[in-house]
Formats: sequence, structure tokens, C-alpha cells
Amino acid sequence: MRIACPHCGERSLDEFLYSGDATVKRPDFAGTTAMDDFVTYTFERTNPPGPHRELWYHAAGCHAWLVVTRNVSTHAVASVELARDVALAAKSATKDSAS
Amino acid sequence: MADHILTPSSAFMDWHPPATPKLAASARETLTMASFAAARGKEQALREAISAAYGAVLPKSAGRVEAGGIAFVWAGPDQWLAITEHEGARDLEAELKEKLTGIASVVDQSDSRVVVRISGSRARSVLAKGVPIDLHPRAFAPGSVAITHASHVGIILWQVDDAPTYEAAMFRSYADSFAHWLFEAAAEYVSAQP
Repeated sequence: MRIACPHCGERSLDEFLYSGDATVKRPDFAGTTAMDDFVTYTFERTNPPGPHRELWYHAAGCHAWLVVTRNVSTHAVASVELARDVALAAKSATKDSAS
Repeated sequence: MADHILTPSSAFMDWHPPATPKLAASARETLTMASFAAARGKEQALREAISAAYGAVLPKSAGRVEAGGIAFVWAGPDQWLAITEHEGARDLEAELKEKLTGIASVVDQSDSRVVVRISGSRARSVLAKGVPIDLHPRAFAPGSVAITHASHVGIILWQVDDAPTYEAAMFRSYADSFAHWLFEAAAEYVSAQP
């Protein structure tokens, strides 16, 4: 499997570290339902076949965090985005919906 | 109490380049290096400051430019490595800190990394044995930079000229492992005849 890093171009898998599911969001540890939220966040993963969004870290390259959309059955990579851009877009979307 | 005097020593304990005209390797240990990263929102100000001070246009993506005797090497998003000879006790960290006050973080790298220069007709094929990127001239040419690894040693690799000449910067403590791998990889090009 090869991942096209937006900074470095296409690189071999051994330069990257898999860093988990990009579809879940870490719950608020101070919330009243924090215990239940963390149990769900930590253990209740659906592990679906087909396309999946994952976090990858370009450890042996530019050290960027990436959100990779990948078909876990075929390993075909559909898109690679900078996690920073994804997080900033989510932040501005939250801001827009709040105002 | 006895006085302790610290004297500089080479990063390479076992430096034995192969005797072949097809590959020349040299350690560049007399460099002054500093990394710098733009402060948030100051990327443009940083570009202007470097351009005004050295006449260099900082590469936006993996690339290397040379201006006024200093090489500016892309070292990650919004980060660069500035490299020059340590002549006349030149100190790039102090120099850049003064020029980039408030717009970039500057960190001395002179004793953190060593640079190995590799050139010769077989330089490309020797490097290709341990570097997982495409080094074909169509994909990697003078001015190209890649942050990658060579036989598991993290390196910043760039090509200097068409000889081809490459340079690899790595953390000092890995220099011996890198040299060991490089010379093993080059062994097949040592001719049997004296």
C-alpha cells in the first residue's frame, strides 16, 4: 500500500504509522456522561468493510497527520487530506452552525 | 579537580569509504545549521525577511535553494533548514534569530545533524538500495528534497548536481549506522583489480 502525502508525494507504507479511526471524536472528559461516552469511544467500534476514514502519521517523512479515506477490503486509497485542514474545516463548520 | 576539556570529535567512528572511482563519500562536519519554522500567520513575513536578507525564495514544497552561500532546505510544512560552512565562526542560529525576531522560531542544528555527501557514477544505484523513493532523474533532480529514510535511518536527502551528487542530513548518533550501510551497499562497485 502506498499513501500520497500532500507534502511529500506518494510514499511507501513503511514511512507511516496508523493512528486510529478518524470518524470518532474524543468525548469531553468533564461531561456528566463522560464514563459512558468513553466506553463507547474506546470499545464500541463498528469495523465496517469498505471505505473508512483513518488517521495516519507520516513518521519517517514530514511528520504531518493525515486523514486517509481507504477501502479496508481492497486497500484502495480514495483520498488523503491533511488532518489540520480537516480539523480547521470542522471547527469553522461548528462556528457557522452556532452563529 | 582536573579540568575537563571538551574537544570536538567526528560523528563517524568507523569511516572507511570504498576505494572506487564510482562512488565518493565525504562527511561534511564543518557546517553551521539552523532550522526555522514560521510563527502562526507569519509565513509571508518570513518569506519576505529571508528574501530581503539573502535573496532566497524559500521553497514552498520539498525543494532546496542556494543563495549567498547558504542552502535553504525544505524540512517539513513551513519549516526549513539553513546550512552553510562554519567559516570564521559563522553562527547561523544567531544570525537568523536576529533577522527573524518575532516571525520564526530558530533552533541550532549544527551539532545535532551531520551531512554526508555522496557522488559518482554509482551514487544513485547505491542510494537506491536503501532509500524507498524514486531517484530516477525524472522524479528526483538537482534541487529536489525528500524527507525519508535510508536503511531505517531517518534522513533529509537532496540532490546537489547532475554528477549526480547527493547530500543526506541525519542525526549525529545515526551517522555511523548510515555510513556502515552506505559502504556495504557500495562494496560491489569496488573493482577487484588494484
